[in-house]
Order: sequence, then C-alpha cells, then structure tokens
Amino acid sequence: MDQKQAINPVLTAVIANRIDGIVREMTNTLLRAARSAVINSARDFSCGLCTADNQLLACADGLPIHSFGAHLQTRTMCEFHPDLAEGDAFLHNDPYTGNTHPADHTILVPVFVEGEHLFTVVAKAHQADIGNSQPTTYHASAKDVYEEGALIFPAVRVQRDYQMNQDIVRMCQSRIRVPGQWYGDFLASLGAARIGERRLKELCEKYGKDRIKTFVRDWLDYSEQRMAQAIRRLPKARLVNTGGHDPVEGIVPEGIPIRLEIEVDPEAAMVTLDMRDNIDNLPCGFNVSEACTISASLTGLFNSLPADIPKNSGAFRRVRMLLGEGKVIGRPAFPHSCSVATTNVADRLVNCAGAAFAQLGDGYGVAEGGLGMGVGLAVVSGDDPRQGNEAYVNQLIIAINGGPASAHADGWLTWGLPVDCGLMYRDSVEIDELKHPIEFSHIRLIPGSGGAGKFRGAPGGDMAYGPTEAPLTVMFPCDGQLSPPRGVRGGGDAIAAAAWHIRADGSQSKLPNVVALTLHKGELIRGIDCSGGGYGDPLEREPRRVLHDVLERWETPSRAFELYGVVFSGSLEGLDLAVDATATTVRRQALRAQRGNG
Amino acid sequence: MYRISVDTGGTFTDVVVTDSSGGYTIGKALTTHARIFDGMREALGVAAEQLGLGVEALLGATDLFIYGTTRATNAIVTQRVAKTALLVTEGFPDILVLREGGKLNPHDFSRDYPEPYVPRRYTFEVRERIRADGSVSRDFDEAQAREVIGQLARHDFEAIAVCLLWSIANPAHEQRLAALLDELLPGVPYTLSHRILPVIREYRRASATSIDASLKPLMQQHLSGLERDLRAAGYANDILVSTTLGGCMNVAELIEAPIHTVKSGPAMAPVAAAAYTRLEDLGSNAIVCDTGGTTFDVGLVRDGNLTYSRDTWLGGLWSGHLLGISSVDIRSVGAGGGSIAWCDEGGLMRVGPQSAGSDPGPACYGRGGELPTVSDAACVLGYFNAGAFLGGRMRLDVAAARRALAPLAERFGASIEQTAYDIISLASELMIKAIREITIAEGVNPNESTLVAGGGAAGINILPIARELECERVVLPKAASALSAAGMQFADILKEETASLVTTSNRFDHAAVNRTLGELEGRLLGFLEGLGAQAQDKARLEFFVEARYFGQIWELDTPLPFSRIEDAADVERLVEAFHQVHQRVFAIDDRASAVECINWKARLTVALSSPLVQSLARAAQGEDAPVAAYRTCHFDAGVSIETPIHAGADLLPGHHVQGPAIIEEPTTTLVVYPGMSARVSDAGNYILSYQ
Repeated sequence: MDQKQAINPVLTAVIANRIDGIVREMTNTLLRAARSAVINSARDFSCGLCTADNQLLACADGLPIHSFGAHLQTRTMCEFHPDLAEGDAFLHNDPYTGNTHPADHTILVPVFVEGEHLFTVVAKAHQADIGNSQPTTYHASAKDVYEEGALIFPAVRVQRDYQMNQDIVRMCQSRIRVPGQWYGDFLASLGAARIGERRLKELCEKYGKDRIKTFVRDWLDYSEQRMAQAIRRLPKARLVNTGGHDPVEGIVPEGIPIRLEIEVDPEAAMVTLDMRDNIDNLPCGFNVSEACTISASLTGLFNSLPADIPKNSGAFRRVRMLLGEGKVIGRPAFPHSCSVATTNVADRLVNCAGAAFAQLGDGYGVAEGGLGMGVGLAVVSGDDPRQGNEAYVNQLIIAINGGPASAHADGWLTWGLPVDCGLMYRDSVEIDELKHPIEFSHIRLIPGSGGAGKFRGAPGGDMAYGPTEAPLTVMFPCDGQLSPPRGVRGGGDAIAAAAWHIRADGSQSKLPNVVALTLHKGELIRGIDCSGGGYGDPLEREPRRVLHDVLERWETPSRAFELYGVVFSGSLEGLDLAVDATATTVRRQALRAQRGNG
Repeated sequence: MYRISVDTGGTFTDVVVTDSSGGYTIGKALTTHARIFDGMREALGVAAEQLGLGVEALLGATDLFIYGTTRATNAIVTQRVAKTALLVTEGFPDILVLREGGKLNPHDFSRDYPEPYVPRRYTFEVRERIRADGSVSRDFDEAQAREVIGQLARHDFEAIAVCLLWSIANPAHEQRLAALLDELLPGVPYTLSHRILPVIREYRRASATSIDASLKPLMQQHLSGLERDLRAAGYANDILVSTTLGGCMNVAELIEAPIHTVKSGPAMAPVAAAAYTRLEDLGSNAIVCDTGGTTFDVGLVRDGNLTYSRDTWLGGLWSGHLLGISSVDIRSVGAGGGSIAWCDEGGLMRVGPQSAGSDPGPACYGRGGELPTVSDAACVLGYFNAGAFLGGRMRLDVAAARRALAPLAERFGASIEQTAYDIISLASELMIKAIREITIAEGVNPNESTLVAGGGAAGINILPIARELECERVVLPKAASALSAAGMQFADILKEETASLVTTSNRFDHAAVNRTLGELEGRLLGFLEGLGAQAQDKARLEFFVEARYFGQIWELDTPLPFSRIEDAADVERLVEAFHQVHQRVFAIDDRASAVECINWKARLTVALSSPLVQSLARAAQGEDAPVAAYRTCHFDAGVSIETPIHAGADLLPGHHVQGPAIIEEPTTTLVVYPGMSARVSDAGNYILSYQ
C-alpha cells in the first residue's frame, strides 16, 4: 500500500541523476553546435525524454514554454507509425498534433533496447526561418496556416536505419530561407537526439532493462508524490484570474482577453486549471497551441511551487487540465494559425496563472513579469556595406524586461519573457554591433520603474539604436504598451512598454505595439521595456532594502518617501544616507491612515 | 639545493620541498590569515625538521621558491577588496549589472538578483564613444572626464577600473583617461580593459577589469610583504607566484595584474596530474579530481596539455562574477567530506549541496556537528582510523557518527552501515556527473584517460568512481593531500597576450592579422628578455585563435600551426585546424562554412627544470605488504570484513595491496575495495586498479 516503500531511495536517485546528465549532454550539444542566434543565444530550444507510453520523463534546462508538451508529439509519432524501428528519426512541427508552433522543428528518435521501444528522445529548436510567406517565424497577421505558409511536418520520418531521407532535406532546402543555416540547426538537433539515444542504451545496458523500467515507474511515482505534497500545503480555494493581450491595430483591434479558473484541492492533492471559458480562435497568428497552453499554464503553476519538484508526467498527474476546442487558448481548430503561439498570448497566460496563486494569501504565487518582444527583441534586417552589401536578418536578444517580485525575493533583472523565465542569454552590445551595421546610443535601467512592493519588481530598460550607414529594417510584435504587468497583494504595477522613432532632426513619433519600420542614417529607434510587478504592500518592505535600493539607484528618493514611506537622514551626495527609523514609522502610519480614509 | 613550493589555502598551508637528488618532503600547518608568513614558517619548519634543518638553513639552501595563494579568491568571495570605481562609456552604465543573462532554475523565485561586482553608485559615465571599426563616434570630452575624476577624488576610491566600449578596436580614449588619472589621482592604482583583457564582449571585459583593479592595493601589499618576510628570513633567490593559467610569474608582473592569481590553487592540480601521468608513463590524457571538505574540483589534461576556459565564475554560474581571463578549466560541485546526507519529501536520499564545513564539521569530529556527512559515513564503515586521524592529530567520535546516521537509516529501513555505504555511493554519483560534464565539454573519453586523485577526501571513493567511468588507470600520488603545492614544483613560467581582431576566412585580412600576431609576439619577447639569458633556451611560443563558424556565438580555442598567416594555404590550414577542434568537441563539422576569427592569443612557456624523482628502495620480489593492524570495515550488501590496514610509511615500491584493504597516509586515507588493488610505483605513488 505504501508506495514509497517500493522506491529504492539510492538507486532511484542515482539513475535520476544519470538521466538528468543525459538530457544536459543533449542540451549542451544543441546549444553549442547550433548556428542561428535564436538557438545559441536565446536558448530557444529544449531537450527531453519521454517513455514509450508517451509520458514525459525528464526535461532539464529547457525553455519552460517548450518543455511540458513533448509527450503529445511522441504520442502522434506512435499513432502515425506502427512500424517504428531502431534507426528511425522523425521531424515534427505540427501545432495541431502536439507541437508548440511551426518554427519549433522537433526531432523525435525512438530508442530501442533489445528490440523493445523504451524511450523517445526529443530535441526541439526554434528555427530562424521555416519558409513562411513573410520573412519571420512570428507571423502575427496570418489569417490561417495557408497565409502563414510554413512547411508542416506531422511526425515525418527523416531517417530510417540511421540513413537520411534526402527528399525531406531537399524539400526544406528548396523552401526555407538561408537553407544552410536551417540544415546546420537540423543537424545539431539530430546530433543531440542521437547522443541521447546512445547514452540511454548505455544506461540500459549497465542497469538492465528491468531495473530501468522499475526506475521509470518509481521516478514518476516519486515526482507525483512531491507534487502532491506541495499541493497539500496550499489552502483549498477556487481562483479566477483574467488578463489579456493588448489590442493590435488591424489584427486584433479589441485585444485578446484570457480567463483562467483554478481549483486547488489540498485534500485530493489536485489542482485543476480550467481554460475552457476563452474566446474562439481568431483569424491571426496569436492562437495558442495545445502544447503552449499546457506549458504556459503549468509554468505559472510551477512558478508558485517549490522549485525542485521534478517536471514530468508524474507531477502532471496531480494537475487536471480542462481545455476547450477551437479556442484561442486550448486546442486550436485547423486551419487557424498558431504562428506566435510561444510568446505573446502565452506570456500573458504565464503571468495570469502565476498571479492567480497570489490570491491564496501572503506567501503564495508571484506577481506578473515584464513582457513584450519590443525594440530589444526586434528582428533587424538590411544589407551590410561592410560585407559587400550582403543581406542579413537576425533577432536581437538584448531586451530588459524586468522580472516579477515573489513572496520571497525581488524580481530577476534579466528575466527576458514570462515564457523563458530568465533562461535566455543576453547579447553583448559589441557583438550586436559587430554582427550588424548598427550602433546603440544607450542601454540603461530606469530607476524607480519596478513595481513597488514588500518585494520589488525588477526595473525595465531604456535603449536606442540606429543604422551606421545603410538603411535598417526593424520588425517586432510587442505587447504591454497598454496593459502593463500587474502587481499582486498590494504590490505596484509595472511600467508599460513604449517605442519611438527618432528622426535625424531630433523629432520623435510614438510607435504602436507591432512595428515594421525602416530607419535611415541618423535615425534611431528607442524602446522602453516593461518592468516587473511588485509583491505585497510597499509599506512592509524592510527599510534597509529601500535604503539599498536608493543608494544603488534601483529606486528614487521620492518613491522611497511617497510609496515606501521610508524617511532618510543624511543625503546621497553627502554619502551618509541612513534610515531614520522613528520618522519612517510615523510616515508609514500616516500613509496607512491616509489609505484608510481614501 | 632545494626547491620549495607553498600553497596557502583557506584552512591549511601546504609546503613541498624537493632536493637535487629527488628527495621529497611535505609540511602542513594551519593558515594564519593575519600574517601569512607565520603559518608558512610553521609548515616550512615541519618540512625542515624532517630534513634535519632549521627554517633559515632550508631557505638559505633553496634556489627557487614558488608561492600560491587563495588570498585574491577569498578577498573576492568575502567582498574584502578595495573600494573600486568603474568608468564606462556614457549611456552604458549597467554593463556589470546586466551581465550576459542566464539563470539556473527558471521556476526558482526565492533569490534576489545578484549584486554587480562594482556597485551602481560607484559606476561613472564618461562622455565618449568608439565604433566597432575603431573610428570615433563621439569625441573624448576631457572637461567632463576631469569633472568625473574630480568626483572620484572626493569619494576616496582606492582603485579605478576603466572599461570603454570598443577600446579593443581603438584604445585612445582609455589611454586619455589613464593620463588624466596619472595627473589627477597619482598613486591610485587603475586597470584599463584593453590592457588586461583585450577581447570582445563588454561584460566579461568590464568584469575582469573591475576584479583586477579591486585586487591591486591588497595584492601589492600582500606580495611585497611576503617577499620582505622571505628576504628577512634569509632567502635570496627567485620568488615566483602561481597563476590561474597553471604556470607561475614573477612578483612584479602579478602586482601589475593580480587577477592572474585568482583560482591559482585549483589550477595547479592539473599541472600535478600532467607531471604524475608523465612520470608514471600513463599516457597523455588525465582527469584530475581534488576532493576537499565542501567541494569536488575536476580538471583535465588533454594530449599532455592543460585545458583552458574563459568562463570561470567566482561564486556560482551566472550569479557570481565572471573572471573572463583564460584560466585552467576547473569544474566544481558541492560534494566533499563535509557534504550532508538527507532524505527529501518524496523519500529519496540526497547528498549536499549543504555542507557541515570545518566548523562544526562532520559529527565524527566531535565538535557539535549532528548531521550525517560523507566523512561520518566513511567513519561508520571503518575506513578511518578513529584513534589517530590526520596522522594522529585528531580522534574521531564513531558513536557520534552513528548517532548522526541513525535517523536516516531508520527512515530508509536499512542498517546504519548500509546507509553509510549508500551515502558514499550517492556522493560518488555527483562526482561522476561532474567528471562526465567536463570530459563531454572537452571531447575527452574518460576510459582513455588516467584518473588522478588528490585532496584529503579523495581516497574514500576514487576506485568506485574509476570503475563507473571505466578509467583503467588510476593514480593516487603520495602527495595527494598537497596536490596544488606538488603541482607548483612542476609549473613553468607562463604568460599570455591576447588581442581582438575580427576577420573571416573568406575575407581574410592577412596584414592586420600578422601585425596583431607580431605585436603579441613582440610583447612576450620583451618579457622574455627580462628573464635573463638562461630563460631564452627554454622558451616556447605558441599561437592560438579563438574562432567559430560564421553565425555561431561561442568560440573554440584553436591552436595555430604557425606564427604568421602568409597566404591562402595558411588560411586553409587554420580552417582545417578549426574543423578538427569542432569535430572533437561537438562530433560534427561544417566544411562548407566560413570560419570567423575573433581573438588572437600568444602564449610563452619558459620551462623550469622538473624536480628529479627519487629512486626509493624497492620491496623484495614477492614480499607481502606489511600490515599494521586489522579493523572491521563494511562494504556493499552488508559485507563486513576484518580488513588489513597498511601504514603508508611501511609501503615500498613494488608492494602490492589486494582489497579489501585500507592504506593510511598521514593526511589521506585510501580505501581499496574488495576485488580492487593498489601497488606502489617506483616513485612512491599508488597505482590503483578496480579490476
């Protein structure tokens, strides 16, 4: 009856450690051998392992938005290919049969041990181009998959007996822009999957198939138990949270509202994530695929639980997912496009879920984090006069969206987007100026921009760049200009995103969320990235933290006084700034009283 | 004449003395942080006594003194460095704050974002801007710079770091600032980024520059003080200091660039490994493990050479501070003798990363520790000599160790001995993973390498680790507990010069590359000249390029087969060398792609003569290894065996020890598990086998 007695506490830990090592080796291979910046700089890829019966077993270090739906893809592979055999490899990018969005080309390799299919390894990487009708993998305005234009591979066999089907390679090469870059990344993914396969075979040889099967059962049970224990510590509650993507002129003029209902049942140790009450699919690229719906909502949940719970199907047994058919969040109906499924609306969903748990009380959940692929995450393109006017196209990864405050810590500064939670690397200014004919005029944090709170959101950033000589085209699908990330439990909201076109004469015009603009010499594009929301009442923030914030220019002296109610003696200039404890107590009482009256 | 190497660690100061006939003596004492020389003198005394000398007489008869110190590392980790200001290009004040991104666990919201190495309020913007091609986008504003430096003067900064964008393409503005600092803040040390680390990527350059500047006052005082103390004690010859490059340098050079002493101790372990594998004729690839109380360090020797990395972090990947300079590649995991074993909520056993440290230490130390550690497990299993631990300097409390393990044993429904064995197995597992990660990253096959074990706790589980990795050749050097100090005995004088120059193989800029290589060579030859005529004959120059396929982000260190790149054929050879490195590391290459060259590097090696190795008296043919005692030891699956205990001092070359057995050296214990064996080599090292 007592399941945990059945688990061998040492062997299970040892093999789990080995499995984790295998996924990390796959990750390292893909990260460093890949060619496009979106993979090796943005880390927009993930590796994982599923069992033969399509349960996610392990996904170390993968981008959260990628990680939790891989078992949907292996299920499709199994359904479509009853003749699975050793030496097979499949290419899958179909958002209707389990993929995130078409740009995430996924390699699936079934692993056979003594003739038995035991595992499937998964290597998913965001390709820089997939042959869309427009030179972008985020085709926001695509009415449907036909307009989107990507080549779709619903678990198509690309290798048999370890031999490449060159027909498929040629199809891709004759239809994808910069085919050499695609092929390099395709090979890197395949290499990562094959390394995973080899290591799993070695593992099974060492421990024997039966012991590995026992391990799989034990590890999933163990993960389930860890999850159940975490849920049992939550208060029983029914939570409702809403949010939404900003309106986008010409595409979604009304915006995209989202709604999430959560039931926390500590007695049954179950969490239900109900997303059925959402609007129908829209004729644009913002629809969220099933895999992204699962990953984004689970990311919000995991952000609110102890960080070391293993993320796999064992843990997921404690989560009931209720998804609607043909919904903008849920299971999309063909032929609606999911081109932008991994970011914009999914970012809002991560925030919506994480913040929902804050309704449970102090100590639970997180605030909303900075979002939007703005000026610092733009795709830049043009001709490079330094390279004989050769064309270039690349995504900058240099944004500063501030992370959300939690019940325990201030926001993480290099948070990137809610769907990656800080995993991305940031570009170096020098590398970006070397790779593209552009020059930055400034990149700086905005003091006092993080959502105030007992714990403070990370600040947003301010940056500008322009072309050095030849015209520069800048494209980005931002969000967050109208509804910035919100604070929770009395914490302040974040600042909104913004962008401006600055002309050679210094005149400026404000830009909307979604931008396609060509800049000429002397012109700049300037952007402000969202900060993160605050957690809890700013009047409860430890005064020494506020002092440190002011000294270090995370916060301004006026906000320290107005929002945090902290009074200082001395001065910044005099290098003797200190908290005046008595005056602070008085000031905080006054502010509380003011609120009571207001 | 003698050669002395000294490694002052956080806890112990290790001394190794070799003499011209190959004699080999180790001294150990507690490190005295207030005045390093006091502890050093005591450790020297321990060694001198074994040689029948006084400290002065030993120093008087020594012709080379090599010093290694954790002073710089500790100062950074404990934030006791100089009050340092950072000067940066106007508009980019947050370089040290923003870093290069990355986070360990995406769902962990329990930690604040790490503080920058130099506080934001100590960062000052200077009006100027240079472009990627070295042209000036915004002129240097001298009036504004003078105003900034005036502010520095008022704030009593003790050191200044200067890192301007693209100073690597055109250093003029950093040089202008240097001249102003000389004029306005004479005597305040400063570091210029294009001098200390002329590589692209502003965060790592600024980080290295800030770290170096912040260490200058401290290390200047420390190294000069040590030199004075040594001279006063009667030492008259050369003093060299070990560096993070795995070599050594003279004191004057390191006072100018003290960053090179950071992490120099761990860097010496692979130097020792290279020497021992060469000495024992065990091939040219080695994996070296150094197991201490809280951390397990792994390094590599590939084809007889040290391996380097520019991604050495102090205080944790992505959350600490990036050293930036090229340093011997060492990976650390939180596993060692002091690591604590525990049971998580799901009922799995875990080991570390929490450690009992040295205070209170493991429960068996009897200093109030109550949590079960790896050392307690070894103690319970009978592996340690409880009556005379650390060569008799300490008694171990076995009952306390059993008490500490009892709750875990009960939780798992296993005996205390089995639980102890499991703790050691799980600790080994963490170490195996760390070894796999570094060997994978460097494209080295563990089973074609020799495993070299060092550190006080290495002998507990090196053999099971070797079995897991299928490393058939394993060495535990006689000096295992003083591996860094032993490594220094074999260190060469090493100096690197780097320059940034971006060019691609299909548009190769021969003139610029050769000019750059010429400058690097010139600087190194100038340094060599200062070392005297003798050094010239033992000098070797090597050239490297840090390159990548066009479009990649991360460079690979590629050795150049020549010192200049004259024609298309030379470029072909460079490209071929890069393909081979890429193939080795990633198991693929892309021969259709252009190769982008980013940084160029020259390395000067001046070989110091290696110490001789003493020929020790050999054991008689077939003679059994003398047994000092028997003790009950516990092994896997509940096996308890009355196990022979050998004293290291009794064992002679040629002796063969068949497991189960324990070999006790004064500062380390070697467990030879059932079915495994050890033999003593001619040089007195233990050659182990798990078969």
